[in-house]
Amino acid sequence: MKERELTESGGHTMLVQRTMRSGQNVNFDGNVVVLGDVNPGAEVIASGHVLVMGALRGVVHAGAGGFDGATITALELSPTQLRIASHITRPPDGEEAGEGLLAPETARIKDGSVIIEKYQAPR
Amino acid sequence: MGTVIVVTSGKGGVGKTTTTANIGTGLAILGKQVVMVDTDIGLRNLDVVLGLENRIVYDIVDAVKGNCRLRQALIKDKRFENMFLLPAAQTKDKTAVSEQEMKDLCANLKEEFEYVVIDCPAGIEHGFRNAIAGAEKAIVVTTPEVSAVRDADRIIGLLEAAELKEPKLIINRIRGKMVKSGDMMSVADILEILAVDLLGIVPDDDAIVISTNRGEPTVIDDKSRAGRAYRNISRRICGEAVPLMALEEGNGFWSRLKSLFTR
Repeated sequence: MKERELTESGGHTMLVQRTMRSGQNVNFDGNVVVLGDVNPGAEVIASGHVLVMGALRGVVHAGAGGFDGATITALELSPTQLRIASHITRPPDGEEAGEGLLAPETARIKDGSVIIEKYQAPR
Repeated sequence: MGTVIVVTSGKGGVGKTTTTANIGTGLAILGKQVVMVDTDIGLRNLDVVLGLENRIVYDIVDAVKGNCRLRQALIKDKRFENMFLLPAAQTKDKTAVSEQEMKDLCANLKEEFEYVVIDCPAGIEHGFRNAIAGAEKAIVVTTPEVSAVRDADRIIGLLEAAELKEPKLIINRIRGKMVKSGDMMSVADILEILAVDLLGIVPDDDAIVISTNRGEPTVIDDKSRAGRAYRNISRRICGEAVPLMALEEGNGFWSRLKSLFTR
């Protein structure tokens, strides 16, 4: 899918209406929205953006066709690994996932590396 | 018409066979007609745990292939006359039985028994698919370890894909002290990941090792905490609402008195 299509019209979107468990995977040319959790061992690969309306604990690859502007958003972002286009990142070793109040977060590429920030609706 | 329940876990060594033996015996104590089926062909264990190893003449493969009548392969328990075992074959492998043959077998068994409890082999291959083929309900066993929970999650996904919806969870070998000190996953931690209904928790108990080696299901033992946990689980399977037992139990007079009433 072309980058233009994904950024401007949003492209096609696939809705996954279940929690994705270990060993389950989704591979879609477009955006993916998961209504549920993505558990450790599950994998989502999308050429566009990925939105998880639950806890993201598995692996997500957004912008899999090379689209740098792809984002990964989750209500609870504690992934095993995140990939955006050709960038790969994982949580730092030895750090436990934050306890207590977890806010929705978004991962995106900024200045050539993946950054994670509090979710804000695009203006 | 009975119910076919499969006990599964994915990971090995979390207590599937022990759980099957204790739930089956627990249901028999409650007066139900029970048969346990060992589908771990080639690595049979359930007969040993139940202390019935030396009574095996025919096994599941003989029954399925028509080498004997189903009735002949069923071993009556030495303690309860309403409890039977269909043992696995030891000299064959998992491919000796097909999924359709398991379905037919389960359909036959549930005409005679109120509960058919199937002990599933570890893994997600042929043996697992056979074990779940004829089942209507599933019990997933896990221990409070990350690897076991990961495998349980995988199994729940496979069960759901096989139309075995809403599996129930048993958390085995949990240690109250370690949970309290934060060194072991808690019940809440596990439920947060797996998001399924909890059927029961079984505390880590030396009595399990002793009774398993002796071929006596712990559930018979009134004094064992794990035994009590399994009795509660059996009652829940029968539809009774039984509260979860406390993880830690003091040895003082009052806590023992209290446990008499909360049993």
